[in-house]
Amino acid sequence: MSTAAEPLAFKRSEPLRLGVELELQILNTRDYNLSRGAPDLLRLTGKQKHSGEIKPEITESMVEIATAVHGRHDSLLRELQEMRDVLARCADRLNLAICGGGSHPFQKWSEQRIFARPRFAHLSDLYGYLAKQFTVFGQHIHVGCENGDDAIHLLHALSRYIPHFIVLSASSPFFQGQDTSFASSRLNAIAAFPLSGYMPFVSSWQEFNDYFGTMRDLGIVESTKDFYWDIRPKPEFGSVEIRVCDTPLTVEQAASLAAYAQALARRLLADPRTAARPDSYFVYTYNRFQACRFGFDGEVVDPRTMGHRTLREDILETLHSLGAEAAELDSADALEALVRQAETRQNDSAWLREARARTGSLHDVVRLQAALWAGRSGIEE
Amino acid sequence: MSEIGFLPSFPLPFSAVLLFGSLMLAGVVGGWLVERFLGLPRIAGYVITGLFLGPTGAGVLDPETLHGARIFVEIALGLVLYDLGHRLRVRWLLRERWLLATGVLESFATFAAIFAALVMTGESSLPAAIAAAIGMAASPAVVLVVARDLQSEGQVTERALNLVAINSGLAVLVLTLLISYAHLARDAGWAVAAAHPAYLLLGSVLLGLAMGLLGIVLARWIGKREDAQFILVVALIAVTTGLAQQLNLSLILGLLALGLFSRNLDRGHAMLPVELGYAFQLFVAVLFVLTGASLRLEALGPAAAVVGLYVLARLAAKTLVIGALSRLSGLSLRQGALLGLSQLPMAGAAIVLVESTTSFYPEFGAGLAGVVLAAIALLEILGPIATQLAFRLAGEAGGAVRQ
Repeated sequence: MSTAAEPLAFKRSEPLRLGVELELQILNTRDYNLSRGAPDLLRLTGKQKHSGEIKPEITESMVEIATAVHGRHDSLLRELQEMRDVLARCADRLNLAICGGGSHPFQKWSEQRIFARPRFAHLSDLYGYLAKQFTVFGQHIHVGCENGDDAIHLLHALSRYIPHFIVLSASSPFFQGQDTSFASSRLNAIAAFPLSGYMPFVSSWQEFNDYFGTMRDLGIVESTKDFYWDIRPKPEFGSVEIRVCDTPLTVEQAASLAAYAQALARRLLADPRTAARPDSYFVYTYNRFQACRFGFDGEVVDPRTMGHRTLREDILETLHSLGAEAAELDSADALEALVRQAETRQNDSAWLREARARTGSLHDVVRLQAALWAGRSGIEE
Repeated sequence: MSEIGFLPSFPLPFSAVLLFGSLMLAGVVGGWLVERFLGLPRIAGYVITGLFLGPTGAGVLDPETLHGARIFVEIALGLVLYDLGHRLRVRWLLRERWLLATGVLESFATFAAIFAALVMTGESSLPAAIAAAIGMAASPAVVLVVARDLQSEGQVTERALNLVAINSGLAVLVLTLLISYAHLARDAGWAVAAAHPAYLLLGSVLLGLAMGLLGIVLARWIGKREDAQFILVVALIAVTTGLAQQLNLSLILGLLALGLFSRNLDRGHAMLPVELGYAFQLFVAVLFVLTGASLRLEALGPAAAVVGLYVLARLAAKTLVIGALSRLSGLSLRQGALLGLSQLPMAGAAIVLVESTTSFYPEFGAGLAGVVLAAIALLEILGPIATQLAFRLAGEAGGAVRQ
């Protein structure tokens, strides 16, 4: 196995190019529970012409869409809208509905079925019930990097902003029929996996490769896919992949989050002062918990200034400071939308809790969630 | 004798409660035996158990006892048909028109195939038409219960349930018209011949509509509490079933309409999607034991050839039409064939249709009734196996990792 394994080559890609993957929920239209619809849905989407990729995920009630690579927010958003509409049309034909959100509010994990593919069967054998409990839905944002060293630098620098992405995407307040009190409960489901959390502190692509080689020789991992970190390098794409986001309730929000990541990356890659230090990870899990649990009201600690402040303040200040980058990347509108959310403390979790309070039923919440995703009002079915 | 008057007299008569309990007991044991040792669906086990206990078998359940147990059958059918009606989404059926068209076409093709087959064997046309109309319907109870037992989900399952609802409704419609025509043929006069179907069809649908609207209004008052809404739904089912019975309306149409309207007219989503769960299981066990007990195999000997023809014509029409139209509604040919196979079971409720038809039109009872009853008996046992096989082969049945 360990016979002179090749080091991982980092594919050179144009810096700051974006790609987005979204894991989506497939629902029946009767009680809006998750429904085993992926095989039929994929057969139909396979016949349609569309850009990007629509593919299976580990359970048969999930489907994943992956965009092509984009330089700008507006073209990314257009592609996401197009894919959403293709999927909506196919789902309509099958009496199914699609929705965003990081968790299904009332599905029972034990009822989920693993999609018939060797890798998924392997994961199910390996992780047992965790594989089914992993019926949660995330957004992954890829940001292109020129080389491996840049990727490692960007990855560490971005770690400070991970709580921002958690708060702005949080859409999993309900899990297994309960209000979890968390803004994002999804990340708790991921924490149980042995290789979750954050990447060890390596400071160059060479060091990363040494670490990966060791892990591979130890027989713990086979590829970078086996790391379930919040941010991980994706050498075959030439990107850094942010994985903490819940799938938002709309593609518009998904595109805004990608624009935020791009603007931050623009600043962090250009500024050598942002080089990360190991001690920034001292506060990492604390800040991450605050974001998951309390959303905008969470209190984070800055290891450099030793100061405490709410995530709302931290996010607003960061967004306001990105004016130059946003102008350069044509994403001022997208960031402005995030500013408004932070000012009013309205994220998707708040929307879902409000829908629950208004309708009194989680079935209704999911129905409205599906209508919101499809871009409909939700008055009709 | 008087000193021991506190002792009951033997043999014990079957009181309603004792009967209800005994049927469940027999069902649970028989269902388990058949599932465990023959690998057949549990409901086939219920039916076989009933067959053993009924007049055809050991005779423990005599016709009088069976008649006394009708209330359980009615409640069970009420639950099944409501659930089925509630699964119909009008918006989808209107959008996915090929599914609706498939349902209508396969129903009438089935009618035509059986009718032609029977007429060719020398049956006269009116009884043949009545026998063909009964054959249009697949069994709502079998298809729904197999789907639920297997936790089957997917396009074959979803469409199988929609097709059963469509062909059951159409069978009632055609049969009602035929019986009225039979009236006319016997000089009952135009007035009766026209008024009977109008009363039965419109009345049943209006009953379902009225009860559905009542349910929506009451649900709005009760609010979104699952426990209370569960009672509300069961109450609506029982009242509608009882009224349909007492008003001489169609239980099938009335309950399908209740389910359909209570979902599709509920614009404000006042009614929760109630899960009938164990209540459903309980009555279904009793329903199928009783169905098994009332099966009649007598004609299987003398008229085996006609019975075989009836079954084959029915199966051929359903699988060919459904299979041929499957591509148009976005299914693969394989899914279409399996969908056709899922429609094999004949409704146990058809036994009641045969009986009531015979009372309206005695000539039917003398001839083809035996053939239809034998076909029902055969398909009541083979049907669940076919439906289960269809859902399994379609890859839609529940279970852990499947390859």
